[in-house]
Amino acid sequence: MNLYLPIAEMSVNVLVLFSMGAGVGFLSGMFGVGGGFLMTPLLIFYNIPPAVAVATEANQIVASSFSGALVHLRKGTLDIKLGIVLLIGGITGSAIGVVLFSSLREAGQLDLIISILYVVFLGTIGSLMLVESLNALRKSRNPDQAPAALPQQQTWISKLPFKMKFHRSQLYLSVIPVLVLGMLVGVLASIMGVGGGFIMVPAMIYILRVPTNVVIGTSLFQIMFVTMFTTIAQSATNQTVDIVLALILMVGGVIGAQFGARAGQKLRGEQLRALLGLIVLAVCIRLGWDLVTVPSELFSLGEGGGH
Amino acid sequence: MTRLFLTLVLTPILFVLPTLVAAQTKPSVQIGLSNETVGITSSFDGTEIVVFGSIENGEKERLKNGKYDLVISLEGPNDISTVRRKENKFGIWVNGLSEQFSDVPSSYTMAATRPVKEISSAENLKILEVGLDHLNLVPLGNDLSAEQVKLFRDSLVRLKINKGLYLVDIGGIEFLTPTLFKATLAVPANVPIGRHLAHAYLFDEGKFVASQFTELEVRKKGFEQQAYELAHNHGLIYGILAVLIAMATGWLASVIFKKD
Repeated sequence: MNLYLPIAEMSVNVLVLFSMGAGVGFLSGMFGVGGGFLMTPLLIFYNIPPAVAVATEANQIVASSFSGALVHLRKGTLDIKLGIVLLIGGITGSAIGVVLFSSLREAGQLDLIISILYVVFLGTIGSLMLVESLNALRKSRNPDQAPAALPQQQTWISKLPFKMKFHRSQLYLSVIPVLVLGMLVGVLASIMGVGGGFIMVPAMIYILRVPTNVVIGTSLFQIMFVTMFTTIAQSATNQTVDIVLALILMVGGVIGAQFGARAGQKLRGEQLRALLGLIVLAVCIRLGWDLVTVPSELFSLGEGGGH
Repeated sequence: MTRLFLTLVLTPILFVLPTLVAAQTKPSVQIGLSNETVGITSSFDGTEIVVFGSIENGEKERLKNGKYDLVISLEGPNDISTVRRKENKFGIWVNGLSEQFSDVPSSYTMAATRPVKEISSAENLKILEVGLDHLNLVPLGNDLSAEQVKLFRDSLVRLKINKGLYLVDIGGIEFLTPTLFKATLAVPANVPIGRHLAHAYLFDEGKFVASQFTELEVRKKGFEQQAYELAHNHGLIYGILAVLIAMATGWLASVIFKKD
């Protein structure tokens, strides 16, 4: 079943894309991650132009994070004030990212930068996850070793000025690290087509010390608004959001996520994290391999003076 | 009076008519297309265009023996194209040297009775821009050597062939009678939108005799066209719509799959 995508300007197999959406949705439901970091490379492997893949993926994440944030809003596991401060940073970052995206595209280096960013981030996060979860698995076998407690205060973060009270998270914290984190994730959202949850969640837990019960909801809240802004900014500047492609992925994604969430309840946290770490590393190696091996075609065609 | 009549009426007949007759006997070629527009809808996955035509005023004997040569091409709108070459820098393959070409047909499909090099001389083909080797692709940069420009030009053509945008079909012209012919030209799924031109060129023993062209309009239709135009002319509204659709989908999902 083929369908012509109006913006990507190519004919694609709907069932293949729907399965990709459902498969990534399954993993994201299982692991509680957005899945953008898997979806964008998959779209690129399927020959969707990287520029379209990245911008369209941001649009898909709006759907998944909105449905997730709604759940957390109902349960009250969301720190709106913290979310808004993260968001201010996020929108600034996203705007910077969209401008960077345009100029990299013009210089013909966009695909390269997307690949390098993926290799660096997926490599780092994947390794960290794998090491941490393997340690946890080992410790759970010798239960006498108590898990290392988080240090109560971190000196450099607590010394920063412009402090603000976040009641829901019971934090008294400088806004600087919050804004910087939001901005970093915003830049990644527009250049890599990811929500950034895989950076945001660990950073909120380990650096900002946000209580774990509000981390996911708050991160989804910020991701939702940043990807909304990214979708609109990409549409207005680069015209690279393919609404048809996004819709196929959204529908596949939300359905897959439901089954994934059920499957995830049957696995233990450390096993889940180890598995996710392996998947992340596999995507990283695949992308890295393409960067260092001699390409079968050295030449490529770029858009010149537009259509 | 009669003299005047003779001069006024007969002179044209005697002098002009032979040249008119000669003009009429000079062989020419006429073509028509099976469709004048190609509409890209959501189910579009490439199509075919049939070019019908006839050779007029050809010498009967030569026609019977198939002595005339024909080339039929379908060219997409001209565009500027950038060709980039990957280079190994610090172990990573990055885009390095590049060259821009203008007047690049975005697509080029050709059918011919024989390989074009056998049909006519390279000079003729170059003037007519017939065949992939003879397209007049104009290099815009001037820092590359002639050799490098040729390398980039060849790569451009190769990449276009790999994308299915350039296609050559030797022997793809079918003669229904000695004068009537048809050629089926493929229109790929990724055909560029815009005004395409179908050309027919008639050759006689290496000499170019006549040509004719007709237009083919390729455009998006219905939803595809509306989405494309909205995205390109009103990007902001398109983006807001995309976000609203995503929110509706996300909300629907949270309602349908509500956990109790």
